[in-house]
Amino acid sequence: MSTVTETHRSAARPPEFEDTHESIRILGFWIFLTTDVVLFGSLFSVYAVFRNRVALGPTPHQLFAMGPVLAETLILLTSTFTCSLSLYAARSDKLKGAVAWLTATLLLGASFVFLEIREFVGDVRAGHTWHQSAFLSGFFTLVGTHGSHVTVGIAWAIMLVLQLMSRGLTVTNRRKLYTFTLYWHFLDIVWIFLFTVVYLLGIA
Amino acid sequence: MDIQRHLPPPEPTGHGDEVEVRILTPHIAQPHFPAMQVTGYGLSLAITLIAFAMVAYHWMGLNTLVTVLIVMAFIQGALQLGIFMHLREAKGTLWHLPVLALALFIGLGIVGFSMWIMLFKSGVS
Repeated sequence: MSTVTETHRSAARPPEFEDTHESIRILGFWIFLTTDVVLFGSLFSVYAVFRNRVALGPTPHQLFAMGPVLAETLILLTSTFTCSLSLYAARSDKLKGAVAWLTATLLLGASFVFLEIREFVGDVRAGHTWHQSAFLSGFFTLVGTHGSHVTVGIAWAIMLVLQLMSRGLTVTNRRKLYTFTLYWHFLDIVWIFLFTVVYLLGIA
Repeated sequence: MDIQRHLPPPEPTGHGDEVEVRILTPHIAQPHFPAMQVTGYGLSLAITLIAFAMVAYHWMGLNTLVTVLIVMAFIQGALQLGIFMHLREAKGTLWHLPVLALALFIGLGIVGFSMWIMLFKSGVS
């Protein structure tokens, strides 16, 4: 199967932008990311305002265990690295490499979500639910929204792996992989701020 | 299923695609080794571990620590944008920048002004 992209390999644009239609879809994805910035910006503001309203519940300092959180951070950083290697492999026209690195990314993402759910379950078992204080409501909403984004990203990555395996590196699949990497790196940026604002400043 | 599409010629279209910004020198040549990605990964690991150590071992006072940590988060975010989200491939894709500026403007506006108003004279800021 010969795809169109190979013929323009020496063009001045990244391969994902050579097709006008796909290029417009990437612009659309950036606009989606902008709306997600609005969502997370609001949740970060709410968290920052209610951070000290702990009522009779635990303070951030009492609640957070830094070991698992540092592990989650390192896992997510590694997954953005494997994600970028997937796109790198795709640009080198290596389908197997792209699929393998994408699979590694989604497995790392799944272990991140697993650790986060385990943390949440531990908090709830100890009686620290989102009903207890404004701080806990803000915390669970902010961190949970990020976690659900990662979960959606894993489902997306699974579908992308299936499409890559059945159709190969077509023009459309290259653009889909490109937008997926944008999404995944965006979630990593959100987590960097979560890790700093919620966890590091919580125990500082 | 027909995946073949009619491609536009790669020449400049006269719609601003040919605009170049010097600091965003196009960097789309595919190297044999993903050096950019490895560098970005190493830097972000280093920044994360340093930030964690600063909190764990109490290297500085609380107020300084808050400022330094937030600055480090912004540096790491910029690193992600620059290295992994392809901002350096700007030739022909310069329209990334207005959307990104919009996102920054709205995001920082929401966070900054919400916190300013909601914490106004509350004594907990």
